[in-house]
Amino acid sequence: MMDEFEKHIRDNQSAFDQHRPDRTKIWADIASRLDAPKPKTIPLWRSAKWRVAAGIFIVLGLFTVIGLAMGSWGNFEGTTTVVNKELQDIDSYYRNLVSYQVKLVQDHPKLSQEEKAEFLEFMDELDAEYETLRIEMQKNLDNERILEAIVSNYKKRIELIENLLRQINESKKPNDEDVYIL
Amino acid sequence: MESNIVYTHSDLVEKSKAGDRNSQYQLYELYIDAMYNISMRMLGIKEDAEDVVQDSFVEAFKKLDSFRYESTFGSWLKRIVINKSINYSKLKRVPATSLEKHVYHIKDEPEEKPKTMDIQKINKGISLLPSGYRQIISLYLLEGYDHVEIAEVLDISTSTSKSQYHRAKKKLIEIVNTL
Repeated sequence: MMDEFEKHIRDNQSAFDQHRPDRTKIWADIASRLDAPKPKTIPLWRSAKWRVAAGIFIVLGLFTVIGLAMGSWGNFEGTTTVVNKELQDIDSYYRNLVSYQVKLVQDHPKLSQEEKAEFLEFMDELDAEYETLRIEMQKNLDNERILEAIVSNYKKRIELIENLLRQINESKKPNDEDVYIL
Repeated sequence: MESNIVYTHSDLVEKSKAGDRNSQYQLYELYIDAMYNISMRMLGIKEDAEDVVQDSFVEAFKKLDSFRYESTFGSWLKRIVINKSINYSKLKRVPATSLEKHVYHIKDEPEEKPKTMDIQKINKGISLLPSGYRQIISLYLLEGYDHVEIAEVLDISTSTSKSQYHRAKKKLIEIVNTL
């Protein structure tokens, strides 16, 4: 039950609002915060360069995971076949990816025949090296050094593609920037 | 009629939802005084109350889509202001529930009778209360919260809310009687 004192306060609630806010100042702050533009976001995947970079990143990332998996699983007998199968699957995935990028380079209109030939020659060398490593790998699944060599083989291919991309982009620059140098 | 109360200013609310700045300003004009006074009673410092009220309006306008007329806009906004004020006082380490230390100073004597009903003196008395007492007196007597709601916003039990309120009221009468 409320006593007289409490009832008196409740009944005169509005009389207790005696503070006067600085209305203009507070509204100005509110309005400026409501007006603040949202930061613009430009999706990275819209840029071809970033798309290729992301592809490369995934390739490297997955290869590292496989490397780790081989290191830990390879020691258990009976899991060898599983690992072998998985390695084959992932390996064929990378091979497809690299061959797709090689095809892109072959078909690229802005590259000269010489540039293409030079690039493909390196790729062939790496292919041969990879074949040797693959045979070695089949003989001994636990061989970390061979795994490292396979990773480095892929890295070289990716580096080659990156270099080529850089060349293409550099040759495009003068057209992109509409500036005259006097 | 009562069911329509929740739709008070619904036109302004709907336009504000759509981002109409003029309607938002009109809502602000309608509620700024009440909200500022609530926050002042909870925090006791002008600059703190301004910060909290500003934050509350910005949040209310940004989250207006989630307002579904389950209460009036005013009580929805008031809840935001009260929650923000309590969080602010916690953040500034103002001991909002430092009521315990006052407990031992209150003798088990019968409650004093107020010698005056003067609003000015009572208001002055509220402002002189320790922050924990001030918050609980404001929530119960001026914001119309019951003990279940107070327990929820202050994160205490309902029985603690009741006992602290009675101590706060006793203290308030003591202060008012000295003014």
